[in-house]
Amino acid sequence: MPKLQRLLYINSESTHPQSPALSAALYEPIEGAITQVDPTSEGLPYDSVHAAMIDGWRVIQVPDVWAGIGSEGAGEVIGFQFILEKIEDFDD
Amino acid sequence: MTTATAAIDHRLTDDEMATFVINGYHIVKPDLPPGINDDIYRALDAMSTNPGDAVLDEVPQLNKIWNSPEMVGALTSLLGPDYEMFPHRHCHRNSPGTPSQQIHQDNLNDLRIEGGQIRAPDRIDLVLAMYYPQDVTSDMGPTLILPGTHVLQSLPERMASQGNFRDQVIATVEAGSVVFLHYDIWHAGTANTSQTVRYMLKFLFQRTTDPSVPSWNHDPANDASIRRRLESANPMPMQRGLAAKQRHFRTRMWNRLAGDQALDLSYHDKWAGGAWN
Repeated sequence: MPKLQRLLYINSESTHPQSPALSAALYEPIEGAITQVDPTSEGLPYDSVHAAMIDGWRVIQVPDVWAGIGSEGAGEVIGFQFILEKIEDFDD
Repeated sequence: MTTATAAIDHRLTDDEMATFVINGYHIVKPDLPPGINDDIYRALDAMSTNPGDAVLDEVPQLNKIWNSPEMVGALTSLLGPDYEMFPHRHCHRNSPGTPSQQIHQDNLNDLRIEGGQIRAPDRIDLVLAMYYPQDVTSDMGPTLILPGTHVLQSLPERMASQGNFRDQVIATVEAGSVVFLHYDIWHAGTANTSQTVRYMLKFLFQRTTDPSVPSWNHDPANDASIRRRLESANPMPMQRGLAAKQRHFRTRMWNRLAGDQALDLSYHDKWAGGAWN
């Protein structure tokens, strides 16, 4: 049974891991899995990056502190993006 | 009652107008003749190809939607009394199995379309009007809206990995509803996991003259409460820097729309006399 990487992207209100999560997306190592906005979802899986860490997710990328700050004409990104992983057993 | 008189009665109130300025969308369900939504659905379903801009010629019943007092009242409020229907329109057929779109702002990059849009975060010059001829439930590919984003500029590739937002609005509506969107709002068509085809007809309406007076049902007695809402509403929490930018642009937007009845934005002590916090 191979160990594969699951990815969880969480955009937070600030660079603080305990700040509120604004968006989240889960990327599963499964052939054909699609990650997209889901109109039937009922909230995010975690309220913060910290809550995800307590559940066993490991932070593998912290946000660029300059991300999400739009300069004039450059556009904006909502939230500061953390990337987390879990390595888990998956069936062949 | 004439159509024009009825439309005046259906102009937005100060609170409804402020809600649009803050959130960037407004939903109306006009009082339509019985059966018209079903008629339109059947006409669309019988088409073998996308009619493109000709959908209004192919399905003339749609004029009853856009000419209804509720539509005229709302569009007059948002765009002024001499608003025009834009020549581009589109019928979206969202079939079972259709995946979600990426969240995006619309952009008229096609130079063949006259009057290409330039983002203007303190104006309402162009409004998207989305009409749904059938009920739309959450599994039928409803439109997703990120409230308050119409005063921001998106970077679609950088936000492509974000997935669901905590405070996203899913426009599940009854047949015959029209969702008015500020042209610049971030939105997406979503996945249709049902067994039903979902139609959405997107029309564009544009302002033709700059406002000099409020074109909605305005009462200056509401100015203080409107200012409080514009300065404090938080329809979708985000980082403080962007929230401040939202507040700045929506206050400027209101005052641009109000013309000679703009809010007095001089300094006031908003803490004095309030609760300790």
